[in-house]
Amino acid sequence: MKRSLLIIQAPIDEASLLAQREMSNGMGAAVYFAGVVRDSEGPSAISAIEYEAFQQMAEYQFAKIFDQIEKRWPVESLRVVHRIGVVEVNEPSLWVEVIAPHRGEAFAACQFLIDEMKKTVPIWKRPLQRPS
Amino acid sequence: MRITVNFYSYFRDLTGAAEATETLKAGATIADLLKQLFARFPKLEVMQNSMLIAVGVEYQRRDYKLKEGDIVSLFPPVQGG
Repeated sequence: MKRSLLIIQAPIDEASLLAQREMSNGMGAAVYFAGVVRDSEGPSAISAIEYEAFQQMAEYQFAKIFDQIEKRWPVESLRVVHRIGVVEVNEPSLWVEVIAPHRGEAFAACQFLIDEMKKTVPIWKRPLQRPS
Repeated sequence: MRITVNFYSYFRDLTGAAEATETLKAGATIADLLKQLFARFPKLEVMQNSMLIAVGVEYQRRDYKLKEGDIVSLFPPVQGG
């Protein structure tokens, strides 16, 4: 399984990532997920979220999730980009691409990756309030 | 032995520090380390039920026996995505 992980400060360039897609002729599913910052956090209006990562551990924990995916599904390629620093409302903080032979395994692997990430990958967020 | 402790996210606010160093007896566990840290940073103790603990890049339980040079990280539940 090809794997790629970027934890970066720069904005996620979805068009560029999509243009870099590589899939072999036997693959029939490319599933994408973008996690986008909402304009509210609970009852509060916010303008952005500041993300912080324990980078070395985050990379290690993502690698463990990738290993589990490789064992469970015939995924050909997995690409993940997580942004850190300040991410404005309506901008993506997370981008995932899963390429597999069929949609079922591609969706399942994508869902698994995000669920596990939210349990084990040390990244935190701090909502930034909208100035009143 | 000397153990370095790193705090992440709002645990830094609770302790007022990004890092601390504690001296412990040989054979001490993470539970022993936490006892010392809670005495030094009382606001941290309130968070102990939701606290996540890592040594290096691996999650560890409180009965983990520490070794000289271990780097322990303490942080709240993760929130990526």
